[in-house]
Amino acid sequence: MRAARFAVLVALVPLAVLVGIGFGGAPLDPATLLHALAHPHDGGDAATIVWQLRIPRVAIAATVGAALALAGALLQALLRNPIVDPYLTGISSGAGASIAIAATVGAAPAVIPPLGFVSGLATAVLVAVLARRGSRLDPERLVLAGVSLSALLSAIVTLAIERLARGTASEAILAWLAGSLAGRGWPELAAAAPEALLGFVIAVAAIPALNVLRLGEVRAASLGVDVVRLQWALLVAATLLTAAAVALAGLVGFVGLVIPHLARRLVGPDLRALIPASLLAGAALVVLADALARTVAAPAEIPLGVLLAFVGVPTFLVLYLRGGARAYA
Amino acid sequence: MPEPVIVALDGIAIARGGRVLLENVDLALRAGVVAVIGANGVGKTSLLRTIAGALAPAAGTVRVHGVDVRTLAARERARTIALVEGNEPAFAALTVEDAVAAARFPYHRWWEWEQTPADEAAVAEALARTALDAFRERELGTLSAGERQRVWIALALAQRAPVLLLDEPTAHLDLKASVQTLQLLRDVAAGGALVIAVLHQLEEAAAFADRVVVLAGSGVIADGAPAAALTTTTIAGAFGVDVAVERRPEGLAFHRRAAAKRS
Repeated sequence: MRAARFAVLVALVPLAVLVGIGFGGAPLDPATLLHALAHPHDGGDAATIVWQLRIPRVAIAATVGAALALAGALLQALLRNPIVDPYLTGISSGAGASIAIAATVGAAPAVIPPLGFVSGLATAVLVAVLARRGSRLDPERLVLAGVSLSALLSAIVTLAIERLARGTASEAILAWLAGSLAGRGWPELAAAAPEALLGFVIAVAAIPALNVLRLGEVRAASLGVDVVRLQWALLVAATLLTAAAVALAGLVGFVGLVIPHLARRLVGPDLRALIPASLLAGAALVVLADALARTVAAPAEIPLGVLLAFVGVPTFLVLYLRGGARAYA
Repeated sequence: MPEPVIVALDGIAIARGGRVLLENVDLALRAGVVAVIGANGVGKTSLLRTIAGALAPAAGTVRVHGVDVRTLAARERARTIALVEGNEPAFAALTVEDAVAAARFPYHRWWEWEQTPADEAAVAEALARTALDAFRERELGTLSAGERQRVWIALALAQRAPVLLLDEPTAHLDLKASVQTLQLLRDVAAGGALVIAVLHQLEEAAAFADRVVVLAGSGVIADGAPAAALTTTTIAGAFGVDVAVERRPEGLAFHRRAAAKRS
């Protein structure tokens, strides 16, 4: 049963990739598409669309989805709280505030991804320092520090839109807040991929210890888990993954909170299955959503974050509320 | 020849939140069941955690098989000492079998994700000994408090450690389950393990322990066989309650002498 559900997720990813490459603003018939796929250096419009626009977009969407879902699954396991979102650590609001300020002073659009990454990381470090108690990480303090710092930084974004930014500046901020992959390509992916990959490697190495952590911190420690080291490793992994996603796509909500939930429904709470399932489901969902965002109102694009919220949140609420939440006993 | 010392406490002092709980605790513990008795807040749980190496003592050393417990690597410590504390919340959707299987974590390198036949045998034996066979697939959230308590004991058994520390193992258990659990601990000790259990019921300590350690003030006020350690004087010293201790052929019986206060 679990294996069958897992197989469905595995099959879903190439399917989503096909949809992501097959659909877009400019309609391509299957023959042209296949020709372009087979001849990347053909030089025609179709080859350019496929290889310079759609394939990088799909790769970025898959990276963003996988990174956010993985970060969400890690933080939910770390804080032993099923309603934790990867943006909890202040990454999104820190990135947002710095981007709002940069846009206000007229910085070039090209600086937005790296700036988002660095300031998101800096905010996460600040939140982690505030959440520290001795050498260990206090989950409750992490939530409190993350939420309150996020509120402050969001206020900076609002102030920038309201008072300072004029015209294109506020549009740039709004585009970032709405979450979008428009205009992203291979260079942005190349810049964000190593951080995401590092986060992924740390996450995978931590899976057996994370499974033991489900029994509680005291029990995990008496079973030989170095809880302090695990907590910091997970926070670093989740931060790298989220910062990479934020740098690529801006604010894409829903994925990091909801995909781990759905994956848990599908394959159960064992992190050896849950982590890969979250990864696959997150990648597939964002690739499909981005394809939809490019197609529905073509040639205009619907912001990815907005689309995911519109389609995803009601679906999730129905599934979640009907099935009932399970917490800790 | 006396049994070898498994756990040795040497000049242990324990402080929590700036307050000294225990001082100058010296104990040499051998295979068998040791009951720790004392009033709430005297430091029983902290003593167990200190022996487990989870808490650094303010002074002194805990040695297991001659090695300072604080110098053991985390997984090595977990292969040596199992600690059962019942009251920490755990993930409710976890099945009993998965929860108990976590006991095998210290036997795995970080890249070894799958259970070996030895792991499965240890888990199966622990489930059988705690009468949890029928509960394998049940989720922790669906268990009663007593059933969950048995899961934590099964977890410690599957850990296959020669030192077993249990904080109130009979809490939440009915009379039958309590007796079964304590008998199980006796069986484990008979296999050469040291079992240290914090108990609140004097009758349980008297009936099942080989040795009773009574804590009061900031140290050990009695240490010895149940009949020697549990006396009217030591019980008054530990709890401030006047109890007559009656020696019967079947064991010790405890009767509170002061009339019950009625409001």
